[in-house]
Amino acid sequence: MADLVTITGLTKFYGGVRALSHVDLNLNRGEVVALVGDNGAGKSTLVKLLAGTERADAGEIRVDGSVVKMESSRSAVALGIHTVYQDLSLCDNLDAVRNLFLGQEEISGIWTGRRLRRADMEAETHRILGSLSVKLRSLNTPVGRLSGGQRQGIAICRALVTNPKLVLLDEPTAALGITQRAEVLALIRRLKDQNCGVMVISHDLRDVQAVADRVVVLRLGEKVAEFSAGQYTSQDLVGAITGAHETAAGGAA
Amino acid sequence: MSAHEPGLMAPVVDTSTVNRSFGTRVSDAMSGGFRVFPVVIALIAIWLIFYSQNPAYLSPENLGNLSLQIVTTAMLALGVIFVLIVGEIDLSGAALGAVCATLSAQVAVNMGQPIWIALAAGILAGMAIAGLEALIIIFGVPSLITTLGGMTAMLGLLLVVLPEEFSISLGGNPYEQIAATQIPASLSIVLAIVASIIYAVGRWAAQRRSISDVSMMRRAVFPSVVVAVVVIGVVTVVSDSSGLALPVALLILMLVVASYFLTQTRYGSHLFAVGGSRQAAARAGIPVGRMIFFSFLILGACAALAGIVEASRLLMVSPSSGTGSLMLDAIAAAVVGGTSLFGGRGTAWAALLGALVIGSINNGVELLGLSTEVQNFATAGVLILAVAIDVILTRGRLLPRRL
Repeated sequence: MADLVTITGLTKFYGGVRALSHVDLNLNRGEVVALVGDNGAGKSTLVKLLAGTERADAGEIRVDGSVVKMESSRSAVALGIHTVYQDLSLCDNLDAVRNLFLGQEEISGIWTGRRLRRADMEAETHRILGSLSVKLRSLNTPVGRLSGGQRQGIAICRALVTNPKLVLLDEPTAALGITQRAEVLALIRRLKDQNCGVMVISHDLRDVQAVADRVVVLRLGEKVAEFSAGQYTSQDLVGAITGAHETAAGGAA
Repeated sequence: MSAHEPGLMAPVVDTSTVNRSFGTRVSDAMSGGFRVFPVVIALIAIWLIFYSQNPAYLSPENLGNLSLQIVTTAMLALGVIFVLIVGEIDLSGAALGAVCATLSAQVAVNMGQPIWIALAAGILAGMAIAGLEALIIIFGVPSLITTLGGMTAMLGLLLVVLPEEFSISLGGNPYEQIAATQIPASLSIVLAIVASIIYAVGRWAAQRRSISDVSMMRRAVFPSVVVAVVVIGVVTVVSDSSGLALPVALLILMLVVASYFLTQTRYGSHLFAVGGSRQAAARAGIPVGRMIFFSFLILGACAALAGIVEASRLLMVSPSSGTGSLMLDAIAAAVVGGTSLFGGRGTAWAALLGALVIGSINNGVELLGLSTEVQNFATAGVLILAVAIDVILTRGRLLPRRL
C-alpha cells in the first residue's frame, strides 16, 4: 500500500535555531502514529508544517505520492490534512452544528435567499457524531456548555466534515479526566477504523501506548527512534525521549 | 433545554448535565429560547406600574407616541448590536448620526437636491466614517478608545459641516415628510398580516426536514403564533389613531432584514463566530478583520438613518444634535434586550425590546410628571440587572466561583 503522506528531509529554522532537522516520516491510512518528545523536540514545528501554518526551509512533503506545497492552513485542508488544535478552536457561543460547519457552511441557491441549509447540516452533524459515537444531549446547545470530552469529540468530528485523509491531533487528552480520556482514545480508534491516517502528538506515554500503532520519537529537532506497537517498553520510550540510551532504539537514528 | 426532555441522542458521557444545580438550570434555560422572557416580563411590569398610576399610559395615542420616541434609539441600538456581536463596542454612533443628518440636510435644503440623493449621501457618509473607525480598530486600537475619540471628532465635524448660522431648519422641505408620513391603518394591518404569514412559512420551511430534538411545535408553530400576535397587535394598536408612522415601518423592515441576515445566512453565522473566538474563526478560514469592518459599515448605516429620522422629527439640525442621552440609551437598549457585551450573543429583536424598556420608562416618567432622577434610577437599575443576567449566562452559573 502506498504511503498516504511521506516526509523526507524536512528542516525548519527559527532564526539561527534549527527546530527540525532532516526528519523523514511516513504516514498511512488506517494507522495511528504517535509523535512524542520532550519540550523543544520539534513536535509542534512538525505539526505546523503539516497544518500549513508554517513553511519548511528544506525537505519535501508528498501526499499520495505527489510533492505538495503547504501555503496555508486552507491548502492543507484542501489536501485532506486536518488539524485539531490543543485549544480545540471551537466557538463556545455556537452549537455543535455551527461549529462543525464553521467556514464551510452549506447554503441554498440564490432563489431561496442563500440561506443556511440548517436541516441538511443537522443531519450531517448527526451522522458524523454518530460515526464516532459522540453523544450529545442536544445539537442546539452552545458547545461552551458541554464537557471536555464532548468538546474534544466535536473538534475531531469537525475534521471529518471534509473527509480528511489525515487528522493531526495536538495533545487531545491534555486537559481531560479519566473517563473523558478513555472516551477520546476510543474516538481515535474509531477514526482509524474509518481508514483515516491519524497522527497524535502527546506528552502522555500511557495514551501513546494505548492507541499508537507506531511511535516516532523526536529529540532536539531530530527523529531519534521509531517503534512499532508491542515492540518496545516504557523504558525504551523514555530512554529515546531523554537521550539516555539511544542505542536501544529500534528505528533510524 | 430541560433535563426531562426525551433527547434524540441519549446522554452517555454527558457529565456536564448530571447533578445540575438550580443556578445552572436557570442559566441553561435562559441561554436558549427563553432569553427574552425576563425582558418581556420586565416590560410588562413597567407597563402595569405606569398603567396603574395613569390609564392613559396604555392608550393608543400614547403607544403611538412611544413607538415614535423609541425609533431612533432602536435604529442606533440595531447598529450597536452588530458591533457588539463581533466583540467590539461603539460610542460614536449618535454623534455620527448627527453629522450624517446634517450632511443630508445640507444636500436637501441648501443644495436643493432631491430627497433620495440627500438620504443616500447621509447613509454613505455614515458607512464611510464608521468604516474608517473600523480600520483603526482592526489596526489594533481598542474600539472603546477609537470610538470615544470618534465621538469627540464627530462633534467637531458637526460644527464643520453645519452652516455659519449653526443650524438648518427642515420645515417646508420634503425632508420633513420622512417622520411626518403616515401609512393608513388598513394598509399597515394588511402589511403586518402578510409579514406574519411570510415569517410562519419561512419557519415551517426551515424546520420541515430538521432532525433536531426540538419539536416543530416549539421551533415553528409557537414562534409563528407569538410573532403574528405581537406584530399584528402592535401595528393595530399603534396605527389606530392616525396610521403607522413611516419611521416605525422602516424600523420594522430593518429589524426583519437584520434578523434574517443574522440567523439565516452564512455571514451572520460568521459574525457570531468572530465574537465567540477570533482565533477559532480565523482558523476556520473566516476573514476576521473583514467581518469587523462589515459590522461597522452596518453600524454606520443604522446611525445615519437614526440621525436622519431624529432630524426630520425635530425639523432641524444643530450643534446639540446627537449630544443627548441617545448613545447611552442605544447601548443600554442593546444590552437590556439581551445582547452580550462580551461578544458572540444577541439578536436583532434585542434592539426593539431594549428600546421599548428604556423608552417605556422615559415615557411613563414624563406622563406622570415625575422628576428626572426617578427616570435615571429606574433606567440604571434595569441596565445593571440586564448586564448581571448576561454575566450569569456568560459564566454558565449563578454565583461566581470561589477563588
